[in-house]
Amino acid sequence: MITFNKISKVYSKESAALHDVSLKIPTGDFVSIVGQSGAGKSTMLKLISAQERPSEGMIVIDGWDITKIRRWQIPHLRRQIGVVFQDFKLLPKRTAFENIAFAMEVGGAPTREVRATVPHILKLVNLAERANAYPDELSGGEKQRIAIARALAYKPQILIADEPTGNLDALHSWDIVQLLIKINKLGTTVLLATHNDEIVNALKKRVVTLNDGKVVSDKKSGTYKL
Amino acid sequence: MIGVSFFRILRAAGNNFLRNVWLSIATTVIMTITLLIVMFLFFANVFGLEVINNIQQKIDLSATFMTEASEEQMSKVVRNMEQRPDVRAVQFVSSDEALKIFRERNIDKPYIEESLAELGKNPLPASMFIVATAPEYYEDIARYLGDDQFGEVIEEVSYEDSRDMIQRLISIISTIKNAGFIITIVFAGLVILIMFNTVRLAIYSFREEIDIMHLVGASRWFIRGPFVIESMLVAILSVIITTGIIYPLLNGIAPELQRYFLEGYAQQEGFNIYAYAVQEWPTVLGLQLAVALGLAIISSLIAIQRYLNS
Ligand SMILES: Nc1ncnc2c1ncn2[C@@H]1O[C@H](COP(=O)(O)OP(=O)(O)O)[C@@H](O)[C@H]1O
Ligand SMILES: [Mg+2]
Repeated sequence: MITFNKISKVYSKESAALHDVSLKIPTGDFVSIVGQSGAGKSTMLKLISAQERPSEGMIVIDGWDITKIRRWQIPHLRRQIGVVFQDFKLLPKRTAFENIAFAMEVGGAPTREVRATVPHILKLVNLAERANAYPDELSGGEKQRIAIARALAYKPQILIADEPTGNLDALHSWDIVQLLIKINKLGTTVLLATHNDEIVNALKKRVVTLNDGKVVSDKKSGTYKL
Repeated sequence: MIGVSFFRILRAAGNNFLRNVWLSIATTVIMTITLLIVMFLFFANVFGLEVINNIQQKIDLSATFMTEASEEQMSKVVRNMEQRPDVRAVQFVSSDEALKIFRERNIDKPYIEESLAELGKNPLPASMFIVATAPEYYEDIARYLGDDQFGEVIEEVSYEDSRDMIQRLISIISTIKNAGFIITIVFAGLVILIMFNTVRLAIYSFREEIDIMHLVGASRWFIRGPFVIESMLVAILSVIITTGIIYPLLNGIAPELQRYFLEGYAQQEGFNIYAYAVQEWPTVLGLQLAVALGLAIISSLIAIQRYLNS
């Protein structure tokens, strides 16, 4: 369960990126966060992964109040939260396999476990045969699937994806969304920030709409119109 | 798990070193020079004190007795001297003993024996050697012995005033120390500056990895460790190189130093700076490690603090 309690986030004095947002996301949910560019979607996700701190309010994740999380505690939080970005953020000099292994290794996973787990995850994202390819040799959709695979390396309870289809064509976008649904079915809470209305409408899952930093609608099986 | 992490951090540190290999080499060279200066100061200090100590031991005051002086007169003077609070020890050498010592010393020179035989009697006077409790008392003691009251007993008082020389030595040593200290500080600053930039460059060339490490929840130690350890590797490498330079060097110059500065002073086994360095290796190594690791850790932590906290 992720709880936002009266969250405000002010970057600079003139405007608030988020304003008085309250929200509850039960474990296992699939939530799309939609809204125009600048509405505050990324900010919301960054607050969850403690890349940013709220200016006001309280954030609780699975009973853990992370509002004033200490720096040394952040790694513990991040290992429970997989993150995926529009620009993939893969290491160009490492293969698909190595990119995933790197994430596990820096988290301290034993080499044996890394060797056993990475092929598993690659299979999960349907890229087992591309294990030794470098990011340059992969399509956008494949890159994003590797990025998702990396996010899954720790078996996180939560996966946050910030415009994961932003750089992809419709076909590849749909691939990614299918993958996110699959991951959600395996029990992971998925938060998807997007402004792709086609995807949102096809998903038929919970939709939270942000506008100017405020929640303007929160529907169980929502739609989104630009 | 800690073992695995440590090995990975070590590997990452090695990668850092190689990725900016020229900068790493430059850092190692400057660090080595700094350590050499520190070592020079250390050994100059040890050696200087040893030289002073030797000269101090060597200051002695001796008085030769008149050939006519009786045993009684002489032992009275000796006792008189022994009672003085500024006198630590008095050694009386009778004229027979003096001859014996003289013969022993010149055992390899047959002509000495011949001329002694020709002379028919012992030409050597009895004498006494006086050791004062502190160097500054010698003058007083010498003046006292030169007094008229001993005129019939004491032939000659001789003492060499080495206080000037000691004073000069002490001031030379302290000059070396001060200059060395300043040079050390300059070089230490240089080490910190260069190392700081090495680490900064390493952080820069690993920024993508670091970003991802942050995102996937790598521990702070795992992110910082390689940069600190890379600096420590440079430090240890410098210590190894420095040690590899100083020991053969000391071994080479020790006999020269001994001949030049300590010849004639040392009564027993002479002071050998190389032997000292071998015997005191924990101090020598410890001092180097403390300086090298200290500089490495300080500079890398500053760089990390500045460039790795976002
Ligand atoms: N680091 C930042 N510093 C200052 N302003 C920011 C920062 N990040 C986002 N903002 C501002 O906050 C608002 C919300 O941004 P963001 O959360 O990125 O929106 P979205 O992801 O919905 O496009 C925008 O007005 C944006 O300009
Ligand atoms: Mg955004």
